[in-house]
Amino acid sequence: MSMKFKRSIFGFIDMIKFSHLTQNRAKHLSMGENKDVSTNFKVNNLAESLHPLYMKAQLVKINKLNPMMTEFVFKRLDGTKFPFFKAGQYVSLQTKINKSLVSRPYSIVSSPEEALDNVLRLAIQKSGFFSTYMCEKAKVGDEFVISEPCGDFTYSPIRDKKDIICIAGGSGITPFVSMAHAIADKNEDCPMTLFYGCRTLKSACYLDELNKLVSDKFKLVIVTSDEKNDKYESGFVTSELVQKYCDIENSTIFCCGPENLYKFIKKEFSKYDLPIKQLHIEESCCKDLDIENPKKFVLTVFMEGEIYKIDCYENETLLTSLEKAGLNAPNRCRGGVCGWCHSYLIKGEVKINIQKDYRREADKQFNYVHICITYPLSDIEIEVPKAY
Amino acid sequence: MSEKKYDVVVIGAGNGGLTAAIRVLQKNHSCLIVEKHNLPGGFATSFVRGRFEFEASLHELNDYGCDDNIGEIGTLFKELGVYSKLEWVRTYEAYRMITLDGKYDVTMPLGVDKFIEKMCYYVPEARKSITDFFLLAKEVVEAQTYSSSVNGNTDKKYMIKNFPNFIRCGSYSVNEVLNSLKMPKKAIDILNAYWCYLGVDCDRLSFLHYASMVYRYIKRYVYVPKLKSHGISLALEQRIRELNGDIYYNCEVEKILTDDDRNILGVQLKDGKVIKCDHIIANCSPTTVFGKLLDKRIVSEQEKRATNARKLSGRGISMFLGLNKSCDELNITNHNYFIYDTADTVKQYKLMESLKTNYAQATVCLNRAYEDCSPKGTTILYFTSLLMSDDFSNVSEHDYFKMKDFIAERFISTFEKATNTKIRDSIEEIAVATPQTYARYTSHPQGSIYGYETHTWDSLMPRMMMMKEDNTFKNLRFCGGFAMRSSGFSSAYISGDIVGRQTCGDIARKGR
Repeated sequence: MSMKFKRSIFGFIDMIKFSHLTQNRAKHLSMGENKDVSTNFKVNNLAESLHPLYMKAQLVKINKLNPMMTEFVFKRLDGTKFPFFKAGQYVSLQTKINKSLVSRPYSIVSSPEEALDNVLRLAIQKSGFFSTYMCEKAKVGDEFVISEPCGDFTYSPIRDKKDIICIAGGSGITPFVSMAHAIADKNEDCPMTLFYGCRTLKSACYLDELNKLVSDKFKLVIVTSDEKNDKYESGFVTSELVQKYCDIENSTIFCCGPENLYKFIKKEFSKYDLPIKQLHIEESCCKDLDIENPKKFVLTVFMEGEIYKIDCYENETLLTSLEKAGLNAPNRCRGGVCGWCHSYLIKGEVKINIQKDYRREADKQFNYVHICITYPLSDIEIEVPKAY
Repeated sequence: MSEKKYDVVVIGAGNGGLTAAIRVLQKNHSCLIVEKHNLPGGFATSFVRGRFEFEASLHELNDYGCDDNIGEIGTLFKELGVYSKLEWVRTYEAYRMITLDGKYDVTMPLGVDKFIEKMCYYVPEARKSITDFFLLAKEVVEAQTYSSSVNGNTDKKYMIKNFPNFIRCGSYSVNEVLNSLKMPKKAIDILNAYWCYLGVDCDRLSFLHYASMVYRYIKRYVYVPKLKSHGISLALEQRIRELNGDIYYNCEVEKILTDDDRNILGVQLKDGKVIKCDHIIANCSPTTVFGKLLDKRIVSEQEKRATNARKLSGRGISMFLGLNKSCDELNITNHNYFIYDTADTVKQYKLMESLKTNYAQATVCLNRAYEDCSPKGTTILYFTSLLMSDDFSNVSEHDYFKMKDFIAERFISTFEKATNTKIRDSIEEIAVATPQTYARYTSHPQGSIYGYETHTWDSLMPRMMMMKEDNTFKNLRFCGGFAMRSSGFSSAYISGDIVGRQTCGDIARKGR
């Protein structure tokens, strides 16, 4: 149908104006500056500075903290500083060990300020394949690949209560050292009480560094489980103990340590019926399954136009199998959360660690998996993007 | 150079790039998409925090339609072969507009008749003008559909005969046309509420552009994908796999390779790998292509001038909240909020030029469209604003996270004040996106989210009419938010459709 608008604005002259739309645009386009098109944008530059994806770094110092824990100090080679980050974040540390290309996430120990001075410190406890390599074989001068800082185990002044209770078990102390620094440096504004659960005083690390940071904004409570000492608390970090120092209901709790600590803390604090938002638990990596004589399958990997046929085992995640074969599979958290290892499962039966299944709904429907939490139950065909 | 050669390489797996790839593959040409991020979709994605999955950018999809009221996008999705892969929820509310100056708090429904009735409820004397507006808008959409169907090569006589009013109002701004329709000021203010979806004030925004968008929302209703926009992206991606297309993720194109006569030879990836191809579809900005990907020596003066002449659109700022109460408990009553300082779009645009003065937000409570989008007893709210300047350029790396908190504070306090709700204590998850975030994931210059601004001379219609002239580089075409259809989900899909088909035409012509 056609319509008549009898208004002066819509007339014959407007028809001509319409036909001039293109001429007018052509004229303006031709009046742009005749110089090379610049792609030097400040916003994009800062985005790149904060999120370089992967960095080349050199190990510059090794500090033995105790028989089990070692601190590694890195400097960046492909830049003059590390990205500024939120205290509590982690990086993925990657290297080649024999044929394997292995990475592990480690919470950053050093402060966000140190990052700008090109210092990044990680502390590693000797336990598995990678950490044993680091603690025994890595030497000053070695080069590594380090991911950009990531993770959400960080304080939010919007979401969290003003006061925070931090509970560390053993090597779980690392993110809290960084947080304590961030508070001292005024990068975070949250009065913090840190409960550091360790076996003995000797097995604790960073005590000097932490003690120096103690202030009206940062309290340190050391809790030893295997020895008694007048100066410190002993036993476990129970809710009664925490209540002695803090107002639990009006605080947000951050907890980092081994899985059994998480179980203990969840149970300990259940009587307070805290909302989910008041208890942050740092994710842990997805481990091998305890299966005797695990079955072996064929894993066919499609990666950037190449096809690889490798072995995989029912007790190991697909990511582990890829790494053992030296394939550069993307990964960061290794706990199902970050989604960096998002891959397309073409064919095959798998078992997914349901507790750590943070996939998007659409991923489930369209057969995408996070290979860091996925175990094979048959021969598998999978398309995995290259990490870099 | 490696052995395999593709007919087409698509740079970027955004909405436009995915659609274009399917079009190319449907004609049995070989196609590779190279995507910098590890996911398809560009802006069309989602992310998980705790027990929430957040939609990253889609407020609602317009012009999708369903069954008997199928829209342009619904039809396109059928042709692409993805329609049956997706499930949608239809919404009924257009928007609630609240202005902080206290002048407006209006809620508008979808459906042309309902919209007109509600407008007359607020502004009784607006009946004639708002009715005229929808008649005009209908003609605009029909004219654009015709224009797209002939790839911009419109027949003048046909246009004049069939779409005379479209042509008559074609060179005017929204406000010029609405005033000429004698629409009361109050009705104009209410009707213009969608303006921030296009990011140009209504004195400089083309009427054709705005009218067509409003019509596509109000007439076709709007739809929300049950699997979030990530679901749409995966459906398109799956279709590409079915058609034997290839996609490389985590893979950035560093150079477009040509010979000295500007013939496309291929692309070079960041790791040095070279992929041969004859045609390129760039689902990224001409700024990136002419400024970085192509050898500077072969970029023509015309291309330099044209690219430098254009203005970047608003930079995105967003916040995503997962709340641990239901929207009933929180008294969040609406799906789609536009909260402005003022309904005067020119004044509002000015205020949005500075972080200090920008209190505007387009806010979505997804549960009001789709109750099950988050666990029972929880609510998802997301907030978006535009920054019409480079204010964010001056943020230092050191202050970056504090800036995010500042933005969050502003969004929350403004929302609470405008809607008289309390949400702060219920925030279980929070994520803030800045222009840097958008720059990081999409590489858009300065984190602008709407491509080049569709102001005055660079508005939608002349872009559509100049597709031929804008195609300056043989076998290199653009789709996505920076292309001829400008930004927005629907526009990006359509641009991909057009460019995919055009590229098939380029291949066919060469074959002859």
